[in-house]
Amino acid sequence: MEENIKFLRSGILAPIKKWGTHWSLWPVHLVTACCGAELAHAFASGYDGERIGALNYGIARQTNLIIVEGAITRKMARVLRITWEQMPDPKFVIIMGTCGLNGGVFWNSYHLVKPFEVVPVNYFIPGCPSTPEALLRGIRQLQNEIRTGEPRSSIEFEKVDLGKGKMMPVTPKSPKKISLAPSIVVNVPRKADEETKKLADEISKLGLATTVTGKNRIALRVEKDELVDAAKKLQNFGFDHVKNVNVIDVPNEDKFIVEYHLGSYSKRELMPVVLNLFTELPRSEPKLKSLAKIFPSADYMEREMHDFFGVVFEGNEWMGRKFLLAPDTPEYPLKKDFKLEEEKYLR
Amino acid sequence: MEALVISHQKQIGDKMLEGLISGLFKIFTSNMMNIPLIEPLVDYLMQIPLVNLLVALILWRPFFAVIILPGLVGLLIYLLWIVYWERKLTARVQWRVGPIEVARPIRGAIQALADGIRYFFQEAIIHREAHKIYYIQLPILAFIPILLPLLFIPAGNVVGIKTPYGIQLIVAFIALIPLFIVAMGWASHSRFAYIGSLREAFMYFAYEIPFIIAVVAMIYVYGSGDPYVAVEKQNIPGAVLNPLAFIVYIIAMIMATSRLPFEIPEADQEIAFGPFVEYSGILFGLVMTLLYEKLYLMALLFVILFLGGWEGFYVGILGDFCAPLVLFIKTVVVISVLVIVRSVYARYRLDQAIRLGWTSYLTLSIAALILGMFVGVLV
Ligand code: SF4
Repeated sequence: MEENIKFLRSGILAPIKKWGTHWSLWPVHLVTACCGAELAHAFASGYDGERIGALNYGIARQTNLIIVEGAITRKMARVLRITWEQMPDPKFVIIMGTCGLNGGVFWNSYHLVKPFEVVPVNYFIPGCPSTPEALLRGIRQLQNEIRTGEPRSSIEFEKVDLGKGKMMPVTPKSPKKISLAPSIVVNVPRKADEETKKLADEISKLGLATTVTGKNRIALRVEKDELVDAAKKLQNFGFDHVKNVNVIDVPNEDKFIVEYHLGSYSKRELMPVVLNLFTELPRSEPKLKSLAKIFPSADYMEREMHDFFGVVFEGNEWMGRKFLLAPDTPEYPLKKDFKLEEEKYLR
Repeated sequence: MEALVISHQKQIGDKMLEGLISGLFKIFTSNMMNIPLIEPLVDYLMQIPLVNLLVALILWRPFFAVIILPGLVGLLIYLLWIVYWERKLTARVQWRVGPIEVARPIRGAIQALADGIRYFFQEAIIHREAHKIYYIQLPILAFIPILLPLLFIPAGNVVGIKTPYGIQLIVAFIALIPLFIVAMGWASHSRFAYIGSLREAFMYFAYEIPFIIAVVAMIYVYGSGDPYVAVEKQNIPGAVLNPLAFIVYIIAMIMATSRLPFEIPEADQEIAFGPFVEYSGILFGLVMTLLYEKLYLMALLFVILFLGGWEGFYVGILGDFCAPLVLFIKTVVVISVLVIVRSVYARYRLDQAIRLGWTSYLTLSIAALILGMFVGVLV
């Protein structure tokens, strides 16, 4: 077996094989992000990548090149690996865009992986997005490599000395600390029309403290033990669904603010109204009764907030495991004290 | 004593071999192609022993028909041409230039060769779930129904096997090909392959019956299933004698070889090449060309039935070679025109295609049959 492979790679037929492979690089394109538009451009009538024998093809089994277009998320990494493993040898990988290089605009995000840690990469094509010319140049470079056996760049760039020039007066220091942010207040009273005020008064009669925060916007603060009661009362009043569940992390006051935005589809005068039912939790013990039983639409959003902040909604069945995030994502990435990769500024 | 026996046996052996060679030589030379153009070369080569056997074999008419033209070599040339032509045509329709850099002076005409070589040398993966034996065998076995019809397709007096049932036999063998495709899908044991095989089976019924009816209509017109009779009777081309059958046959060619708008079993954007999804490397190279080969066979029959077969120009210097050449050129031209549908049509849904097949298309074919009966009485 080994001998046969060696014969294929360097035997008497190798030049023919190389010639064939080199003129027939058919890319499977893995459109994960915006760079895909540039790939389309590179193979459309303007640049026509088919000139150099590259034909876009949908199926991994019958091709020999993957072009990864942009960011690879943790979930997508698996797909990339599977696609790569399905391909018959010899196979190549080209990565487009700075996203695939080192994160690009998503540098230091919790959800990205570096593609070169997932599959062996032959060529990176920088740019955000990379231009069609650059992509086609990448394919040509790969062709050259197949033919001559050594990877080379076709352009020599001018060297730029980084030592010269003005220094930044203050460079960001590492490790980063959490600044003392101003306190976050959700229910600042604002002027509004009469109808909203009247509605707020009506809700206040249920025994809840409301604040009018704008036209058709009402905030309602409750203690965390009273949340379920308040929700039930509001349901009887006419609110029938949760539009949004939101968590705000305020580390310097040691609290989470959990907001439920309620709305109504069934009662006419409530339809334009968004009611913000919110409560505060200590950061050390972020536990709360779930509202998913009362408003089923809160279910998925509670799970998501659990993914991001680690707030436990008691009574929701999905607590303690990842819902939308990939299983290997680090814990609670949207908390303010989530540890990022430290970078070092030179100048 | 023993040595004598051995030498005696050897002598007998030599004699038998000689007899065999001269016998074969006689068979070959009795039915040889007559091409005035290369006559001096042939005459020269015939004087060299053993080489003359080879030359006689190549120029032996049945061999020439099956292996050279319109047989295997023609098929290979056609394949290289049609894959390139199809890509180039699609590119031009989309305002691109298509493959060109691989050989600039000839506008990239050897692109298909490069792809073929790449497939040939690529790893052929056999996945764990496949029914291994069938999975490997079927792409190769599928050549049986491709090669067998070539035996019965005549070109002038160059023919593999001469029979008065030539047309029926060709149709019968062509009808076998989908079986192998369905079997490939089954052997691949994957979801896409399963869906693809199912679609192939559905489509098979949608086109096969009108196709056979159209051929039968033409047999009525000519009063015989003999390709020679068919070509002889075409003072007026068959396309004019029975235009309905002509249309039915063209649609059948498109449907049977999975061209757009009927590219339903393969549909690479939906089900990733259906029955062929798991094939890679040389095996995929084999199965991908299968439908092109089927198209070739159907187009050969098409030319014989509707376009006057090998009757066309006659160049004296080419002798017997002229008929296969005319047939081949006509076939390639027909296919080259036909492949343009790929770049201009969108795909039908399966149910739409089947509805079409079983209603208007079937009706049209029956009308063609009735017309064929009338014309058959007149001609
Ligand atoms: S590199 Fe830029 S254009 Fe490309 S995928 Fe990333 S963000 Fe989008």
